[in-house]
Formats: sequence, structure tokens, C-alpha cells
Amino acid sequence: MTAGGSATAATVGVDVGGTFTDVVVSAGAGRDEAVKVLTTPADPLVGVRRGLRLGLARAGVAPGEVGRLVHGTTLATNVILERRGARVAFVTTAGFGDLFRLGHDARVEEDRYDLLFQPPRPPLEHDLTFEAPERTSARGEPLTPLTGPAAAELAARVAAAGPEAVAVCFLHSWANPEHERVMARELRAALPPGTHVAISADVSPELREYERGMTTLLSAYVGPVMSRYLSRLRQVLADEGLAQAAVYVMDSAGGVMSTQAAAVRPILTIESGGAAGVVAAGQIGRAGRHPRVLSFDMGGTTAKMGLVRDGQPTVTHSFEVSGKGSFGVARSGSGLPVRTPVVDLAEVGAGGGSIAWVDPTGALRVGPHSAGAEPGPACYGRGGTQPTVTDANLVLGYLDPAGLADGVALDRARAEEALRRGVAEPLGIADLLAAAHAVHDVAVATMAAAIRVVTVQRGEDPRDYTMVAFGGAGPMFAARLAAAFGITDVVVPPSAGVGSAVGLLHADLAVERVRTRVLDPAGAPPDEVKEIFHGLEADAVDALALGAHDQTVTLRYSVDLRYRGQAHQLTVPVTAPELAEPGLPALLACFREVYRATYGVTLDAPCELVSYRVRATRPFAGPAPGAQPDPPVHQPEPDGARTALFAEAGAPVPAAVFRYERLAPGALVAGPAFVDGAESTTLVPPGALLRVDATGTLHIQVAAATTGQAVGPA
Amino acid sequence: MVDAGDAVTAEVIRNGLLVAVEEASIVVVRSAHSTFIQEGADACAALLDADARLLAQSTATTLMHSSSLRCSLPSVVETFPLAGMAPGDVFAVNDPYRGGIHANDILVFRPIFVDGVPRYFAGTLVHIADLGGAVPGGLSTLAGDTFAEGLMLPPVRLYRAGEPVDDVWRVIAANSRTPAKAVGDVQALVSGTHVLAASVERLLARYGGAELARFLDAYLAATERQMRAELAALPAGRYQGSFTIDTDGVSPGHHLVSVTVTLDGAGGIVLDFAGTGAQSPGAINASVSQTLSGVLYAVRCLLDPAIPMNEGCFRPLDVRLPAGSLVNPNPPAACGGRLVTVTAAIEAILDALAAARPDRAVAGSGLVHVYTLAGRGVGDVPWVTLLYEFGGIGARAGSDGPDANGAYFTGGRSVIPQIEPLETAHPLLVRAARVRQDSGGAGRFRGGLGAELDIELLDDAVLTVRGDRMELPPPGRDGGHDGAPGYHRVLRRDGRLEELKSKQVNIPLRAGDRFLLATSGGGGLGPPRLRAPELVAADVSAGRVSERAARETYGWTPPAGVAGPDGKESR
Repeated sequence: MTAGGSATAATVGVDVGGTFTDVVVSAGAGRDEAVKVLTTPADPLVGVRRGLRLGLARAGVAPGEVGRLVHGTTLATNVILERRGARVAFVTTAGFGDLFRLGHDARVEEDRYDLLFQPPRPPLEHDLTFEAPERTSARGEPLTPLTGPAAAELAARVAAAGPEAVAVCFLHSWANPEHERVMARELRAALPPGTHVAISADVSPELREYERGMTTLLSAYVGPVMSRYLSRLRQVLADEGLAQAAVYVMDSAGGVMSTQAAAVRPILTIESGGAAGVVAAGQIGRAGRHPRVLSFDMGGTTAKMGLVRDGQPTVTHSFEVSGKGSFGVARSGSGLPVRTPVVDLAEVGAGGGSIAWVDPTGALRVGPHSAGAEPGPACYGRGGTQPTVTDANLVLGYLDPAGLADGVALDRARAEEALRRGVAEPLGIADLLAAAHAVHDVAVATMAAAIRVVTVQRGEDPRDYTMVAFGGAGPMFAARLAAAFGITDVVVPPSAGVGSAVGLLHADLAVERVRTRVLDPAGAPPDEVKEIFHGLEADAVDALALGAHDQTVTLRYSVDLRYRGQAHQLTVPVTAPELAEPGLPALLACFREVYRATYGVTLDAPCELVSYRVRATRPFAGPAPGAQPDPPVHQPEPDGARTALFAEAGAPVPAAVFRYERLAPGALVAGPAFVDGAESTTLVPPGALLRVDATGTLHIQVAAATTGQAVGPA
Repeated sequence: MVDAGDAVTAEVIRNGLLVAVEEASIVVVRSAHSTFIQEGADACAALLDADARLLAQSTATTLMHSSSLRCSLPSVVETFPLAGMAPGDVFAVNDPYRGGIHANDILVFRPIFVDGVPRYFAGTLVHIADLGGAVPGGLSTLAGDTFAEGLMLPPVRLYRAGEPVDDVWRVIAANSRTPAKAVGDVQALVSGTHVLAASVERLLARYGGAELARFLDAYLAATERQMRAELAALPAGRYQGSFTIDTDGVSPGHHLVSVTVTLDGAGGIVLDFAGTGAQSPGAINASVSQTLSGVLYAVRCLLDPAIPMNEGCFRPLDVRLPAGSLVNPNPPAACGGRLVTVTAAIEAILDALAAARPDRAVAGSGLVHVYTLAGRGVGDVPWVTLLYEFGGIGARAGSDGPDANGAYFTGGRSVIPQIEPLETAHPLLVRAARVRQDSGGAGRFRGGLGAELDIELLDDAVLTVRGDRMELPPPGRDGGHDGAPGYHRVLRRDGRLEELKSKQVNIPLRAGDRFLLATSGGGGLGPPRLRAPELVAADVSAGRVSERAARETYGWTPPAGVAGPDGKESR
């Protein structure tokens, strides 16, 4: 059996989220089995163990049959947010020990008027900061060489302070890492064996000392906790009879890595949970031959949107831990920055539990506050009194009052009362249905702003995309949101409620390496760029071998470019043959085009190359969800009907209701209709057409007639 | 009865406008050639109507310009009557006496037509790299009039019906030390207006001109109501505040900014700057648009921060600015150093309103120090860089002031370039960047620390500096001490140390010389002896306060048997 899992072995995805731990078991053929158990925050492995047992039992898979297990975890983020990482020492260039104390904060929006503001601060005690007698120039020349004895003397002082981990970031180590390597060597010699030592030239070898230093610091801060957690995970798996399974951790860019690699580079997992959802959407796109996919994941508190092109999630290289910003994208400097590849997600506070309210100017708003799981929407009858998106959906007739899967009966009277008090009365609307519809529409508008950010603001036309919807509330809103952008195809996968965990099943093994060197493409020695890429390539392939046994590696190259004099770069993909061309004409042409698409300007100015990236991927060898021929079409009998209000009809109309598990492949249903599933309800608006394919995936064709409603992007 | 559809449409339009201005500002900031434009500093985008009412303003950009575009549009319309405008026209202006700021801040406008009539304007603004004047980079610290500050643009046409007006572009290029960058920056401004206009045209296509106008009126009215309701909640009364500026760098004596704030308890507010000093023969004068941005900012610090930024915010303010004063100068007084005065006006208002809301009292803060370095460069390709460093923030009622950070209005530290990109682009070597121990004004709540920089020149260059609050450091409040004053020095290669003034231009530096910059600490609040001993101990342990200052100023006694940071065991 190969480490990647043979075709006959089962694959398991385990996604630990804030509220639920999702486990998906794929036995190789047929539908995947998914279970949802409550997350156990005190020790997440308790929930993992429970979910694993349940999932394997339900799938009829023996623990010994599992060949591959992929884990998605928010541990790294939680450790930073909850300040429960290691006691870290920070070693930097003499004169710059105040790097983090000075900081690089940006205040956004309402914070700017806060007379009591506090800049974000990293988890570092001042007396654990050490300055090394060294300096390297911007060209990489050693101006003050770091001598071995000086490094050893400093290492001894660091060791005497007894840190659990050490982060090293010297100025211009992106240009020449030698001093950091000398320092790391002496630190390892001086510290107890196994102490986590992170150097910035390895963790994030890019220009800009604040982000590079912070990434390194946080990596060291999270490292020991992650190592302990992953070795406990391996122990739990062994106890459960999964000792033979190859175990991987999802990184933030949609690839997976071995647990050993995750322990060394824990910061790569910072957005692990968000990535899994986008990967799932990408796989569904691949199976259905949709080259461009807009991933739409709407849960209880937030909605996340990301893009997948030709199976590759759109990736950015910066992330802000506890960042803030407008329209779902955190502004650089608003939190603690991490420079690492992450899926490009916009996340807005609009979910099923989001509270609808009327602001002081009389405008109706939805979110960002959420009723959460406790007390939950008013209709749950667990003490919630504020109207939520779910309450509005119930009043509109979009949800089955008989209840959700976990046995909660929905109380329409409570939902109506909450809407009356929270929305209808403040707005002066007599009609509760109209108030409920307004809440639904404002939720769509809020999410539309975020979709605009990840599409139009990135130079992408949303109409070129297929929307893949999942999460508890995604299938309810997908068709509406799609219509607002002129997107005609919406796909709702089976197990839409556990979409993220499904993404873990088939993710590819991946590694990314980056280097910064500012070069003039016209003036640079012709082989310089090629040599940089060769070095990165060798490094990346080498890293993949950690836990990998075969050599089917795909390499993707990209370069960050800018016009000379600018402070911001754009990342542009490039092929190996293009890199061989003198003067890099194809790369420069591509940059100018991306620039034009992004900013609407064509500039006739010299460019410079800044950073170089290689992403090496070894595709997952197991069974991919293959495309199957379309089954013969039939029109199923509804399982029931609900009276519901749609924008298209002026008054409530009867809509057919289908149970998802009773819908056979080939079923064709005209809207208005609802498909009630175990974890979500799919809304098929009037004029739209629903088709069920051979895999049980729902396809909604959004009719042109429903586009151009009052709700949509500006 | 209100139609529920109205509530939805209002929210959709609100979202649409905010996304549209944000997008335009991203285009301006990210495509600007000027390396000064870091993270939204000194740039903005806004939608206005033909009456120059501010409808929506970018939020990720500085608040310094909340009033700039709305104050300058009238001069464009006056010069180029609406009836003569055509689609594809684009206009520019920078005259501080027509709503502008100073030469380097160029404002660009593009009309948006409804039924063939210009009803709206997309506006953008950015600080461009260089537009002439006595000092490279436009930091004309000692300019005696606007003529010395750089090229003056009255309202001019950049594009006529989509075609560039080449004469104007050639004038701009010919007046810049870095013509390609200047033209690139103005092009970025034009693209920003294009992106914004396209978004608004989509809204118009969807809702129609009448519907959009109706919602915008309601939006501004609702914002105004909210402002008035918040103002009415402040205790009524007459409150006096002031702040004293060190120097304008050219004339003797200090400069006073004085304000009387009258709250009527019913939502009205009068801010009368009578008593403020006469306009300066130097460059610290603040044109009306700049003073208004500062006034609105200071008032908003006491209100619900979620109020949207639009014309409705300005309506309740009755701002009285004596003509010929620092806060409303007569032409051709120079205005490049206006931030010195605008921040003083903000401090004066916060000083006054501390009596109304003691829980929001703040001590004085350090000022942003601005400096430029410029040289001939390799192969005589000149280089210019404009840099900032912040002073400490004053202590707040209930918490210490943050270290070396923008004093509220000027934002966070992300506007300061990092050392690696700076050294990569220019012949500089930064030897140290630290916070200054003991520079924060002592108090029950301590002022934030100032910063100190040590920058070595690797090539010959000229230095221009503009600081303030160095002679009169940021004042403490209610028994808190003043912050420690900052300094500007040059350490010559041969070891001579020269003291510079707070405002000085074109100081020749040779390779190997070092510029030493220290910013002032923020003022303290409340008597130092009332400071909680554990907070003093934490300051000592973190190096913010020396053990000596802890003993002498705070009366702190280290716990017996505990080693101090100097390694010596204390008594």
C-alpha cells in the first residue's frame, strides 16, 4: 500500500470546526458517509475519536481498512487567538528589538474614531527579545558578520531564559540567510533537544521584516502545541486501530502535508478549515467539468466565498489573524499578519443564525452578530428573541416547521414575534411576510458584496462561473445569489452540510516555496531567474518526499511583479517554457494583462520581478469522484407542499417539497420547489429548473428571467 | 406605510456605494507610483453629487481627506459650468484656496450623467510623488507662500470627452522632479474615477435616476438625524479648549489654536475658533477643507463610530473659522504644513470636550514627523523619499497611550514604510529603530513612548524635516506629566553632532552622515503617584520606564529580593 492510499483502501476526512466535528468516510465507491458530532473544545480529540467510530461504523469500514486520513484543523488559529501557545524567545538584528513593539498596525473603519484603541500585539514577552550583533545589507552583503562565538554567547543567554521555542528574524535574511542559519545552529546546540527553532529564511523568505518576523514568531508560538497535538492524534488513531493509515493535515492553500511537515511548519495550517471547503467545491467542479467554480459556503454565523479555476483554488499569500476590514476581506495590519499561501476567501457575517436589525438611520441590516447555537434563532425556542435569517426563512415558508435533522422543531409563532419586534415595527411595515422577505434579501445583498470582492475586484466576471453551494444555509440562498450575478449554474453536492470535510478526502499533497530577489527583467542575467526556480523546485520536491513515495509531481510557477516604484505586487503564473525565454516576454505580457484586468489601467512603464514561487503537487492517487453519464430524465412526485412567498409572485404560492433521500438520479423539478435534506434545505426559485445527476448532486439552472431582481451587486 | 422593498433597496444601494468607492480607492492606492502611498495614506475616493454633497467616501483610506473632495468640487463646477460638460471629461485641481490641500495633493473629478445632465461626480485624491516647489517631494516646510510650494493647478481639464488634454499633462510632467511617477499617479487617479463612475452607472441603470436620488436624499437625512441624536446626548454647555503649536519655523513665538464648543443639548453644535492665532508667514496654515476634516474627526470621536461618512455628518456642525487665521488663511499663505495646525485643532476640541465627557479625556499626543531625503542617484536618476515617524499617543482616561502611533487622525503605523523595502529602494542604512525609554509622560495613566531612528546615508543627499511638539512637548492632563520632547540631529561622519530645528529644509548630508530622529512621547493623565504599582512594575520589566524613573517619578519600590533588569538585586 502506498502512503497516498490505494484504490481499495478507505479514505477518511476529519474536519474539526468551532461547533461541529465532521467526519466523512469514503470506501472508494458510491456515496460517502458523513457524520457530524459536537466539537469538544477542551480536548478536540475526544470529538474526533467519537466521530471516527460513528463514521466508520456507519460506512461499514473496519479501522484496518483505512489507508489515508486527512485532518482539517483550526488549532493554529485558536492557539493564537486564545494566547495558549509556547513561551517564545525572539532573536533579531541589533537595533531592532522593538520590531513588534513599534508594529505596523492599520486601524479600519469604526476603530479609527476609538480614542481608547489598542494596536494588535503579538504573543511575545519583552524580556524574551534578544538582539544579535549582526547586519546584512539589502544586497545580501554581510555588513557586520555574525561570528560563531558571538552567536554561541547569545544562544547561551537565550537558553538561560528557558524558552519553549525560538524565532529568529534578521534584517534582509530574504537576501542572504547565512546569519540566521549560524544563529539557528548555535541555538540548537545550546537548547534542550527538540526545542522548536524557527528561522524566517525558512518560514517566510520574503521582503518586509514585520510580516516575515511575525510569521516566524507565530510559527514558533504554535509549533510546540501543534507537535504535541499531532503526536497525540497519531496515538489516538493507533488506539483506534488506524496505525497503518497515512495521516495528512490540510494546509491553508488547499493541499495536504504529512503530520511531520505540519509539525515543522505549523503556520501553513492557519486557514486549514476554510481551504477544505474551497477544495471540495473545486473537486465537484472537476467532476462536473466546470472549469470555473465559485465556492459558496454559508453556515450558522458566516458565509465564505472563494474561486477555483481549472481545479486550482485562487490563492493569496497573506492572512491576518483576527483581522478586520470591509466586505469580508481583512485589511493588512488590522490583525497579526501571516505570510503564507492561503485560499483567497471573502468572509462576511451572514449565516443562518445572523441577527436582523434596524440601524439608527433606519436601514435594515443582517449580521455580523449571530445568535449562534445558543440561544439560536427565535424559532428554536431556546430563549432566542432576536430575529435571525433562519426565522425569516421559516416565516417565508422556506423551511419545514416539522424540524431540522437534530430533532429541533421550529416554532413559527416565535419567529413571527421576533420579526415583528425586531424588523417590522422599527421599519413601520405591517406585513410580516414582507419583513421576512426583506431580511432574506438583505442577507443576499450582504453576501453579494463579498462575492463582488472576490470576482469583479479580482478582474473576474462572475458569469463565467458555476456556483457550488454548501454549508447548512448555502443551498437555501445559492440560486438567489447566483441570479444576482447572472450565474446560471448552481451545484449542490450530496452531504452539502459537511462540504468542508468532503474536501479533505481527495486533496493533493502539496508544498510551496518562495524566494525574494528584486530583478529587472531586462537587465538581469538571463539564467538568474531560471536558477532561482531550479533551487526552489529542488527544495519543494525534496520536501514532498517527506512521507511521499512516488514521483508524480506537478510543478506550478509564479512570479510577483510590479511596475518599478510601486509598493504592491501582483502574482502572475508562468510556465517552464516561458521562463526559458530571454527577457521573459510572456511573463511581462501576462502581468500587464492581469494589471489591466485588476486596475483598469494600461501602463507603459518598466516592471520588476520581486518574488518567485514554486508549488509542487502530487495528485491524490485514490478514486476521484468521476463524471458519470446523465441518467434518463423523469419527473418525480412531490413528497408534500409548502406555501411560500417568492419575490416573483406577489403573494404566497404553493411550492412542491421533495425529500432529498427519495429523489432518484434523473429527477427533473421545476421551481418553485424545495428539497429538504438531512442538514440543509435547497431552494429552487420560480422559473429555475432542478436536475439530479447520477451521483445525487443537485444542479439548479437559474433562469434568465429571475436575474436582475432588486437584489444584487452594484 | 413603508414598503419593505424600500428597506432592502436602501441597504443594497448603501452596500453598492460603499463597495464602489472602496474599489476606486483600491485602484488609486495600489496602482499609484508614489511609494509614499502606503496602505491608504494620503489618498481617498468619494462619490459626490453636482451640489458637491458627499454621498459616500472610501473607508480604507485616511480620514484626513473626508472634507477635501466636497470642498473642492464647487470650484470645478464654477470654472467649467455643468452645461458644458460632456461624458468622458475629467478635471483636476490642487489649489488650497479652492478646497485643495497643498500642491502635491491632486484632486480629480469625473462627471456622471443622468439623462444627459451631470448629476454626480466620481472624485479621487492622492499625494503625488513630486510636483515642484522648493523642496523635493513637496515638503516645503518653510515656504512663504503657495508659489514656493509647487505647481498650482486651478480647475483644469485632464480629458475632454475621453481625449487627453495634452497641454495640461505636459505642464504636470514638466513641473515634476520625477515626471514619470507624477504622470503615473495622476493616471491612477483618473482610473479610480473611471471605476467609480462605472459602478454608479450600473446603479443608475438598475434603479433609475429618480429612485437613486430619492434614496440618497433619505440616506443623508437619516445620517444627519443620527448625528443630531448623538450630539443631543452629550451634556449641553459651553466648553473651551486650546492647543499651542511650537513654531512655524520662520517667525518668532508660538501659535495658539483656540476653540469654544457649544452644545445645545438638542443636536446642535457650534465650534468657534475665535481666539486662534493669525495666519502664519510659514507653511503651517490649514485651508478650510483641512480644518473641517479635522473638526469632524474630533467631534466623531465622541459619537457612535458607525455613523456613515457623508454630507449628513457635516450638516449639524456650525464651524466658525476667523478669516486670516491659522485655520482659515487668506491666499497666498502656504499650506503644506497644515497637519501641524489641523492636529492642534483636533487636540483643542478633545481638550474642550473632555469637560463634557471626562471618560473620554485624553492627554496631548506626539505629532507625526515628516521628512524627505533626496539625492542625485545612480546615473543622475534622482531619488526622493518622503517618510514619517509617529510620536507617542497621550494617555487616555483608563488606559496608557500606545507607543509611537498615529495620533488618531493620522492612522496606524502601517503608513510607515518598513526598513527592508526602504533600504532596497534607496541608499540608506537604518541602524536602529526603537521606542524611547522614559519618553512617555508619567501619570496615573502613562503617555505612549516616542520613537527614535538612526539612519545612515550611503550616498550624498538633502534632508528636509518637519516636526512639532518638541519645544512644547505633548502636555499632560489632570496632574499627568508632559511627554519627553523629541529632537532632530545629524551625526556627521567625523563625529560632530548637529542639532536641527523642528522645521528645516534642504540640509546637505554626505555619505556616512547619520540622521537621528526622536519623536516626543505622549502626555500622562492623572498624578503619577496614583499609578498602580503593578503597572509601574510591568513598565519597568518591559523597559518602557527605567528603574530610576520608576522610583523618582512614581515613588515605586521594587519588591525586596527581586533582581532588577540591570541584574542588580534591589534593596
